Amino acid sequence: MDQQPSFEDELVELLPRLRRFAHSLSRSPADADDLTQATVERAIRSRDQWTQGTRLDSWMYRIMRNLWIDAARSRSRREKFEAPPEEADRIGTDGTAQAAAELAQVMAAMQRLPDEQREVVSLILIEGFGYREAAELLELPIGTVSSRLVRGRTALFELVGER
Amino acid sequence: MSADEKFFAWLDGELEGAEAAEMAARVEADPALSMLADQHRAMQSRLRSAFDATSAAPLSERLRKTVSAASSNLIDLGERRERRLRPKQFGGLPQWAMIAATLVLGIFAGTMVPGRGGSPVEIQDGQMYAASGLGRALDTQLASSPSGDAIRIGLTFRDSGGAICRSFSGPAATGLACRGDGRWAVRGLFPATEGQGSDYRMAAGMDPNLAALVGSTMAGEPMDAAQEQAARKNGWR
Repeated sequence: MDQQPSFEDELVELLPRLRRFAHSLSRSPADADDLTQATVERAIRSRDQWTQGTRLDSWMYRIMRNLWIDAARSRSRREKFEAPPEEADRIGTDGTAQAAAELAQVMAAMQRLPDEQREVVSLILIEGFGYREAAELLELPIGTVSSRLVRGRTALFELVGER
Repeated sequence: MSADEKFFAWLDGELEGAEAAEMAARVEADPALSMLADQHRAMQSRLRSAFDATSAAPLSERLRKTVSAASSNLIDLGERRERRLRPKQFGGLPQWAMIAATLVLGIFAGTMVPGRGGSPVEIQDGQMYAASGLGRALDTQLASSPSGDAIRIGLTFRDSGGAICRSFSGPAATGLACRGDGRWAVRGLFPATEGQGSDYRMAAGMDPNLAALVGSTMAGEPMDAAQEQAARKNGWR
């Protein structure tokens, strides 16, 4: 019974983490759902590119991060001419209103960080990746990851850490 | 590494040995640094618990379809609780996947003769349309009645715009076509993979590419045999 779990089994197991990562990157729960959807579709289409026995989580996080970067680039071009987005419009939790309000608040704070700091804060402080794992995932030198993390978490502390 | 970076690396458990011990001693001796460490630990735990709340929410309908279409042993996160209360007649598969399995298995009884008479697709203004044998199969064949033709029809359903779509498979490819302006626009065409057409996998698991496409295209449930028949009678409108 030492069969390796299938791609699908692992993918299903990863969904809660992927959704959490999507929320920490996105400006609204609706955007986070779209990002998760796009990531899962891309992963299923590209499953041949994943090598069995290697970490599926890193592979899928990388897909999500790249899709988010692509979307962020086209959005920033568009948003120069648009009104700012609504406050978190559809809260992706079934918890209490308080949990939803808390999520909206931290999502808004994360949105104030530059993209390159947000992804590092998200991977290391929220998703629990080590510096080296995050550096490999983002294809950055570890020193860059470390300095972005300091800037990101310090800025975030100014925004949410007053309590 | 700057002093700040070193402090936070220590906080994140990234320093080892003598370096870690040295930083721990410094923090212990410095009330300001101790406070900073506590504040940042508190912020991290606040972030984690706020974002952890997202994993408790049910998956979107769309995402459940995509995943379940790709997965033969589905774990339906959003419905796990209700499912326990329901009889397990579908063995964890969504109903439409079961319909597909039944239909395709039924069709395997037919023989597979490669179609004759021209390419199964034609391209017009950059859009691919079903032609010749494929067009006829989409027009006339019912998934519920095996015909022994080279093309087999899988699922019939409506997309979010209300157009009727049908998945199909032939000896060389599987795909999805949707009805518009009196013809079938091919939304996706994927080369058949080895073993397809002869085992249960194709019905239960589908080609993963096709499954993803079907999952993201379908609005609502696939048609049953009676609905499929009625749709054909109505000219697939």
